[in-house]
This record gives sequence, structure tokens and C-alpha cells, in this order.
Amino acid sequence: MLDDTVETTENTSSVELSRATQTLDYHALNAMLNLYDNEGRLQLQADREASRQYFLQHVNQNTVFFHSLAEKLEYLVAEDYYEKEVLDQYDFAFIKSLFERAYAVKFRFQSFLGAFKYYTSYTLKTFDGRRYLERFEDRVCMVALTLAQGDETVARQLMDEIIHGRFQPATPTFLNCGKKQRGELVSCFLLRIEDNMESIGRSINSALQLSKRGGGVAFLLSNIREAGAPIKHIENQSSGIIPIMKMLEDAFSYANQLGARQGAGAVYLNAHHPDILRFLDTKRENADEKIRIKTLSLGVVIPDITFELARRNEPMYLFSPYDVEKVYGKPFGDISVTEKYAEMVDDARIRKTKINARELFQTLAEVQFESGYPYVMFEDTVNRANPIAGRINMSNLCSEILQVNTPSDYDADLGYERIGEDISCNLGSLNIARTMDSSDFGATVETAIRGLTAVSEMSDIRSVPSIAEANKHSHAIGLGQMNLHGYLAREHMHYGSEEGLDFTNLYFYTVTYHALRASNQLAIERGVAFAGFADSDYASGVYFDKYTEQAWGPRTARVRELFDKAGIHIPSQNDWRELKASVMAHGLFNRNLQAVPPTGSISYINHSTSSIHPVVSKIEIRKEGKLGRVYYPAPYLNDDNQEYYQDAYEIGPEKIIDTYAEATRHVDQGLSLTLFFRDTATTRDINRAQIYAWRQGIKTLYYVRLRQAALEGTEVEGCVSCTL
Amino acid sequence: MDMTATATPRHLTRVNAINWNRLQDEKDLEVWNRLTANFWLPEKVPLSNDVSAWNTLTEQEQTLTIRVFTGLTLLDTIQGTIGAPVLIEDAVTPHEEAVFTNISFMESVHARSYSSIFSTLCATRDVDDAYRWSEENTHLQHKAELILNRYRMDDPLMRKVASVFLESFLFYSGFYLPMYWASRGKLTNTADLIRLIIRDEAVHGYYIGYKFQQALAKESAERQQEIKDATFDLLLELYDNEVQYTESLYDDVGLTEEVKAFLHYNANKALMNLGYESLFPGAAESVNPAILAALSPGAEENHDFFSGSGSSYVIGRSERTEDEDWAF
Repeated sequence: MLDDTVETTENTSSVELSRATQTLDYHALNAMLNLYDNEGRLQLQADREASRQYFLQHVNQNTVFFHSLAEKLEYLVAEDYYEKEVLDQYDFAFIKSLFERAYAVKFRFQSFLGAFKYYTSYTLKTFDGRRYLERFEDRVCMVALTLAQGDETVARQLMDEIIHGRFQPATPTFLNCGKKQRGELVSCFLLRIEDNMESIGRSINSALQLSKRGGGVAFLLSNIREAGAPIKHIENQSSGIIPIMKMLEDAFSYANQLGARQGAGAVYLNAHHPDILRFLDTKRENADEKIRIKTLSLGVVIPDITFELARRNEPMYLFSPYDVEKVYGKPFGDISVTEKYAEMVDDARIRKTKINARELFQTLAEVQFESGYPYVMFEDTVNRANPIAGRINMSNLCSEILQVNTPSDYDADLGYERIGEDISCNLGSLNIARTMDSSDFGATVETAIRGLTAVSEMSDIRSVPSIAEANKHSHAIGLGQMNLHGYLAREHMHYGSEEGLDFTNLYFYTVTYHALRASNQLAIERGVAFAGFADSDYASGVYFDKYTEQAWGPRTARVRELFDKAGIHIPSQNDWRELKASVMAHGLFNRNLQAVPPTGSISYINHSTSSIHPVVSKIEIRKEGKLGRVYYPAPYLNDDNQEYYQDAYEIGPEKIIDTYAEATRHVDQGLSLTLFFRDTATTRDINRAQIYAWRQGIKTLYYVRLRQAALEGTEVEGCVSCTL
Repeated sequence: MDMTATATPRHLTRVNAINWNRLQDEKDLEVWNRLTANFWLPEKVPLSNDVSAWNTLTEQEQTLTIRVFTGLTLLDTIQGTIGAPVLIEDAVTPHEEAVFTNISFMESVHARSYSSIFSTLCATRDVDDAYRWSEENTHLQHKAELILNRYRMDDPLMRKVASVFLESFLFYSGFYLPMYWASRGKLTNTADLIRLIIRDEAVHGYYIGYKFQQALAKESAERQQEIKDATFDLLLELYDNEVQYTESLYDDVGLTEEVKAFLHYNANKALMNLGYESLFPGAAESVNPAILAALSPGAEENHDFFSGSGSSYVIGRSERTEDEDWAF
């Protein structure tokens, strides 16, 4: 089993390649993807050859050899590579059968980037970083054994789902499980900052601690008093939010996960915060070095009232958080600006400034042109769709996590007087195409939910007690999806077409049913629901109205055919009524269930298109700190089906928004939605897309990306990604 | 346009203010728009993310990299302070003058960028050594001399030829190295910055070449032949020198052959910009595909938030929203 180390691709195509290419190394072969051959065809076979050469020239020569699995595991435990506790939960006979089952699948990487990414960033290496100790199958088994926590059936199910590419845990989980020297299994954290020095100081510490453990961290700045606000009643004292952003940025670049990757962070600010324009200006091309923010991501929280004011072309008022907190007795971020707007405008105790609402939107778009930031969260849409009691006032680094939070109070020595609730989320995604191919759709979803729940149960972020506390009570997870475009293209449907939209709706509808069913099952098994369940729309049953009061089904013959062919039962109103009764009786184990992340690295390993986005290009150029430039062919692409791989810039924002709207209505948290424009777009086009997204019920917007066509006469000859 | 210099400063005697709504040549506006949209400053690139990668380079590789960048600094300095300004004097439309002021400024930005790289990655002493090396390297000095000679000649056509060779050919023996590192996952943010420079130089070379072809078309057949001969003579002279320069830099790390293939490719591009046929057949095929593919400015490049902003963003066109946009 373990001597099966020579990986070859099934299509050994070196004979097709010209003699010149045979002498090339795998980087050069991979780069040929971005260049057409003499007849103007894609050089997909060069990538297959690159992946083959990568194994022959590099991986196989640098993999440590063991005679047997027993010898290997003993060595890895003895040398402190593997966690003994993980393996001790099982009989060796079972472990051996699990590894054999995994190797029998004959897993092969489908692209050079998939293999390269896996071996560069995920697999276990010797401590000197020179030699590989794991193959893909080993990693998958260790992840399954870790997450199953001793349950052989669950371990086998998880291993099956992962090795067949149906379920793929997010990077921190997939990277770290079973390793003795490791970071946390959760990826994503969201923290509030309150308007006092203790909270600000604590947040810098949290940025360091969480970055060290490999997470992305988002902070809420809306509560912080603005520049020029009084401190201890003395006017013009506060420096506002910019210096806090600077400190956070420095903290993130200082801390990294054993050098694996830099910390990354985001900050969110309400559009009606007085520092909003300064906040946006930090990303300007000509910003002064003192205020310029390079690596911190920005997000703006926009309530409905801002759109309403812009529609009427009226000025919008910005409110001092310092005064708002004094008047209402709670932080600015916990106030609904839409609801209190008129009241705050008329309240003389609240200091306010005035800007033009439409100009704010225009400024937003200008900065997005220059930097891709800020992300946008439509605050009222998010809170209307939130089934959990409490308020959502921010999102995270990828704008897909949307959960409630509460403030903490601190002592002077930064201990906790009261531990509030901050947010963590662990993610994992289903490959839509493979899940549609699954022999048991419902079981695939359930296994994924169990795997993610295990991560939540095994996580205890003690360095930030407000996160540990909330995680203990909520078991929030985020089941994501990827490879939508790959699936649609494979089935010869266009992204954003009537059939494409129909499929998206029905797929998410079905996944949602099974996700809730699985979480309900967990609550029954554990005999406990998440804290706050009694106050939720699940407990009252209101959440289920949209599924019990109306029938959901395919709108097109093609989608009906696809579900029939796959043998997937579409949940009926009656199924929902039964589920509703069971949920109201026993609860749900997870407070949050779904969130659709942008899926970078894991979609390459899994051979998927990212998230539910269209491809950015038939051949994608991927840059990452550790990899440099690598080229990635869209899954299932060949010379004959190219018409289904229209890229995101050709497809345009409306169809992307429509597709996301179909999914959004079923997802309890958010979905990372990037808007793509050609460089002929103006800020007005971006604003229109934002208005359209808001009207379609989209919850958040992620990056804005622009493609500049090469000036005629300056292109690189025969370059795939330069042609429009 | 009155090109005669008088004792009185030009801007006072001039009667025709530049009018961008009356164009003699549409290309001027097109290129102006492109160049202004591409405006950038080195501060946008998080070069400090490359510090750890820099430390993984051997001492020899570090020296090579610093030398390559000082070489590029020298060329950009020439182009910013002499090359582009002489082209302003030769301009035939006021808009062309304006475009060259932008080119001139951006060349200075490029020269400035290399210092940003140095101050972020390198020790001052090593950089000072490299500057000294650039002043003493005969091939580099000869290259500068060949170009400067043409700039000092009283021949607007040959000035443009020299300028295109600089923009489209001579820079690339230097650009090769950061592209090579980036294809191996090293100094990837520095590569982003270099790609921004390449994005600019591609437009510069194209535009100057275009203006050259416009001017050349007005000349007699003999004069055209004379220019063509002089152009190829200059290219061959530059090429010989460039080969030696390349050997002096890259022999120690064994990359000379690859860089030469890349030189052929770019020499052809420079000739193409001038409207001439290629000199090196099949050059594109022999360039390492990893380098060729890395040249594209990367509008499709997909990067994660751990890796900086990439080289794809531009300054956009602002347009106010109207009532109809807000009709909901």
C-alpha cells in the first residue's frame, strides 16, 4: 500500500509534446497553460505533464519511505509529528483498514496547482522542511480520525466524503488535524471593540494571539468615538479610528503561524460613523504614509436608511458614537441606525455632521476601483434574515460570517469583568458536482455537518475567552459550497441562465433541509440545543414558514432531469412540517449552519471552481506568497466545451447577483460575493450593481475586481489570459 | 507649433493653450487616459512581505538581485531626466508633450521604486556597493553611453529609436530576474511592483514607437532607408553589449542562456514597436514559458488577502449616479 509511491497521470501524454517541452521543468510546463499553441489551442496536456513531472522530479524523490503503516505511525508518534491521542482512540486494525480503503481509491491530483498547493502548504514535512512524510491519502485519514473522535463509523464516512472530493474541510482543519505541532482548527474570528482603552488594548492582544494560531480576524470599529470627540469631557481629544487600524495592521504583520502565513485582518465601520470618509481614504492611491492602510481589509456596514437618503438625494447625518452611547446606554454598533435615524437627527445631545449620501456611494466606488475595498454589509437585510435573537453588526475577513455578538467589560488589568460573546466560525465546503454525484446526498450533507461540529467541539480558544465562551454555547459552523460553475459547465448549462438559477435555488434548498435535519439529529443525540435556541425563529417555528407554506421545486425541465438522474429526493412541504415539529421539540445543536466562503486554496486541491462564483478566467493565474505565479485550468474544461466557461467579467455583475440571490434565501449566514467589472466601467456602474444587489436581498459584497484589457499592441503574444 | 527657444520663457509667449477637446491625434488622448489610469506609487505594494523570502536567497543571489536593480535604476534615471524630456522637445502636438511629461514623471517613479525595494530588503552597505558597481561596470556604462549619444544627436527619429530600445529591450535583461524569482515563489511582491513598471514600459515603448512610425512615414525613401540601417546598427551594437552585460551578471547563477532567449524576444518586440520586422526568428518559443506568462500584467491574477494587492488595480473613472439609478 505505502510503496505505491509513483504517481502517474492516466493520460501519459508526453509523446504529444514537442521535444522542446520535455526538457522543461514543471513550472515551465504549467506556465504553458497560459499560452496558446501554434494552432491557437489550449495546452491542457502541458499541465497534466507538469503534474506528472512534479511527482517524478520532486515529490517521489523527497518522500520518506516506510516499510509498513505500523512502522510509519510509530515513527511519526515517537518523533512528535503525530498526536498520539488521536490514534489511541482506535484499534490499529481499524486504522489499517481505513488507510487501505483510502489508498484503494487511487486518488490523483487533477491539476499541477492542486498537487503543488497540497505538497507546499498542507502535507506533513520533516522538521527541517525538506522531506515529505505524508501523501494525500494519509492526510485525509488523519483528518477523518481526528474529527471522528473515536467513532469508527463516522471516521469511515468522513474519510469517504473527503477522499472522493465531496466534502473538503477548510484550510486550518485540513492542514492541522492529527499533527502534534499545529495551529488551531478554526479559521475565522470576529471581535467587537468597545469605546474604551481596555477594550482597544485587549483587541491588539487578540489580534496577535489569533494570528499566531492561524486565523483571520475581523474587528468592529463602529463603537469607537470619532476623531475630535471628547475624552473625560475635554473636547478635541480623541484620535478616532485610524490609529487603531494602524496598530492592528502592525499586529497582524508581526504575528504569523510559524511563518506559514501572515496574519490577516479586517475592520468594519458603520456608514454613519463620523470617520467614514477618513476610513475610506486610507486605501487611496495617494494617501499619506501616516494614514495609509496596505494589508488590512476594510468593510462598510450600510443600513437601509442610507439607500433611502441617497434615493431622495438628501444629505446623510453621521452620528458621534460617544454621544449615542451616552444617550441610548448602548454602543453605536448595537443601534439600528435605520430605526433611530429620525430620532437621532432631532436629538440635540448627539453631535452630528452631514455629508451627501450619493457622494458617499461614489467615494466608496472610487476607492473600490483603486483597491478592491471596502467590503459591504447590508445591515438591515442581514438582521431581517437572522433567525437568532440579537443583533448582527459586522462580518469577517471574507464577508460570509454573520452572527450575533455581545460586548465584554474589562478590568484595568485587562481581565474580564463580564465575558461577552464574540464569534468564531469553522468552515468546510461541499463540491457541488461531486455531491450531486453522491450515492446518498443527504448522508453527504450530514457527514459534513458532523465533521464541522466536531471542529467546534474540539476548539477552545483560551487566549480570547469571549470566543471560547460563545463557541461552547453556540457550536456555530459554516457549511460552504464550491464548484457551482464547474458543475454547470460540465452539465452544459450557462452560469446565470434560467436553468443555472433554477439549479442554484433547488440545490441550496435541498442542502438546507439536510443541514437542519443533521443539526436536529445532533441535538437529539446530545440531548441539548444551542444556547438561545428558545428565543430563536427555529423554536417559534416562524423560520419554517417559507418552506411549509409554499412548495419548492424545479422550474425547468433540465433541472428536474438532473435531480431525477442523480436520484435526489427534493424535500416536500410535508418533509418540512415533520422537520419543523422535530426541531421545535428537540432543538438544533448548531446556532449557525451555513456560510459560503470564497474557497481559495482548497478549491485547487479539490479541483473545483471557487465558491459559487464564475471562473475569473479559463486559465486562472494564481499568486500566493508561498507559490509565486501558478496557472490553474478550470475544472472539466476542454477544447470543445469552452462556451460554458464564460468568465466573470464577461458574465457581468447582474447574473452573479441573481445567482447569489437564489442561494442567499436559503443560507442562514452570508456568502462571499465578488463583483467583476471591465475597466470601461465607471463608479456609477459599481454603484448600480450595489443598488441592484441590495434590492435583490444580497447580504454582503466582497471584493470589487477590475480587468484591464491590454492596450492594443502591447499584449504578450499568444497569452491566454490577455485575450478578451 | 513654435519650437524656437527665445530669451522669454516659452509659456509666456505661447498663445495656444492646450485644448484636449481639439485633438490632432486621437492616440494622444487614448494613451494619456491609459497612463493616468495606471498611475501608481511604490508605497502601494507591501514589499515588506518579501523580507523572509529575501533572506532565503544566497549571498550571491542577493548581490545579483541588487546589481540588477541598480542597473535598472540607472536606465530609469536616464529615461526620466533625459530620455523623456528630449522627446517633449520633439513633440508635434501639445497633447504629445503632455503625454511625455507623464512618461517622464513615471520613469522617475520607477527609479524611486528600486530604492523602496532596497530600503525594505537590503542592508545599506550592500546597496552602496552595488551603486558603485553600476558606476564601474563597463557594459552598463557603455549601454548608457550608446543611448545618451542618440539622445544628444539632433535627430528626432533616432532619439525615438533609442528610446524604444531602452523601453522595450534594454530593461528586460533586468526584468527577467524578478520574474524568475516570482515563478519560484520568491519576492512575489517585488514582482508585483516590477509588473507595474512593465505595464508602464509596455505602453511607453508602444507609444514612442507609434510616434516614430508617424514621423518616419513623412520622410523620403532614402531617408527612411538611412534610418532603418542606423536602427539595426544600433540594435546590433546594443545587443552585443547586452550579451556581455548579461554574461557578467548571470553566468554565476547559470541563467545566461535563458536570459539571452528573453533578450531575443524583447528585441523583436522593440522592432515591432518601431514597425520593423523581427531579427530573431522563433524567439517567443524559446523563452521559458514561466517568464513569458509572468509578464502579463495580471488583471486575471487571483490572490488571497495574505499576499498584497497584486498589480491589477487602476484609478477609475468617476461618474455621478442619477435619479434613475435610485428608482426603487
